[in-house]
Amino acid sequence: MVVAQGRGDRSPTGEAMFPVRCFTCGKVIGQYWEEYQQRIREEPPGKVLDDLEIERYCCRRMFLTHKEVFGELVD
Amino acid sequence: MASIQILEINKLKVKFIIEGVSEVFANSLRRAMISMVPTLAVDFVDIYMNSGLMYDEVLAHRIGLIPLKTDLEKYNLKEKCTCSGEGCPSCQVSLRLNVEGPKTVYSGDLISDDPDTIPAFDNIPIVKLKEGQQLMLEATARLGFGTEHSKYQAVCGCGYKIIPEITIEDSCNNCGKCVEECPRDVFSSNNGTIEVTDIYSCSLCYLCVKVCEENAIQIDENTNRFLFSFEVDGSMTPLKVIKVALNQLKERFAEFTEKMEKLSVE
Ligand SMILES: [Zn+2]
Ligand SMILES: [Zn+2]
Repeated sequence: MVVAQGRGDRSPTGEAMFPVRCFTCGKVIGQYWEEYQQRIREEPPGKVLDDLEIERYCCRRMFLTHKEVFGELVD
Repeated sequence: MASIQILEINKLKVKFIIEGVSEVFANSLRRAMISMVPTLAVDFVDIYMNSGLMYDEVLAHRIGLIPLKTDLEKYNLKEKCTCSGEGCPSCQVSLRLNVEGPKTVYSGDLISDDPDTIPAFDNIPIVKLKEGQQLMLEATARLGFGTEHSKYQAVCGCGYKIIPEITIEDSCNNCGKCVEECPRDVFSSNNGTIEVTDIYSCSLCYLCVKVCEENAIQIDENTNRFLFSFEVDGSMTPLKVIKVALNQLKERFAEFTEKMEKLSVE
């Protein structure tokens, strides 16, 4: 699938990359993303989030609902 | 006398009890921590080259959100600096990013002019670059307040709640309905007698009072005890945030007092 908007070969938004901070409370969450992604292959996501001490549901949904599509748009 | 007792603390999170202060004071402290503690954040980005997939604006936005370790003794607010807002080494710091794909660019790739002012976390992904894509930019960070933009806010999830005093009177017939009804499991039954075991969890929902047929449960909210909890973004330690907030309040009240005294002379 090719999405062409604006300057052609660029992704229209940055949302395809995991957000640096939680949209709601502003907690910095970007640093946990790669560890989370690695660990959910073998562990349940809820447990991983508990381990990472991500307590509030605003921050938890950032992880649970993210789909990494950055870069796939132009392949 | 006001006292402070820390329940839990680590680099990013703190939970503590303040005792002997009014709710007004507790709320002032909360608001001061949110909006009166300045931190460094990138607010100007010069992009020389960006052949990656992300728009310049989005890239600059993501860099702006990265927390930087902030030494408040070292930096002035730009408006109050001796350079009168032009920008100098004591009010701003510049970070350079010069990378080439294929690579995931992390916050740790930002090279700071000041070795003490570095991103608080070095593994925040900023952007992914493919073969041949290049990124060259210079970002300028300055101090700011949370009232201006949330990237300058040192705390998140900052709040407090009242720790009430729950008394179970002698008329209690130990029916156990309050143990069942309480959503936070504040009560527990010890050999048939009802006891308050987890007062910190109480959310003042009053469900126990409503369910008690003997009217044996009394809740006192005016205990002047508050349970605070907040997290920091990594720019400084939680204790530093509390100190700076209290100092800011002190300074503002001192300024106000000074003005009031002048007023009474005239
Ligand atoms: Zn959140
Ligand atoms: Zn200056």
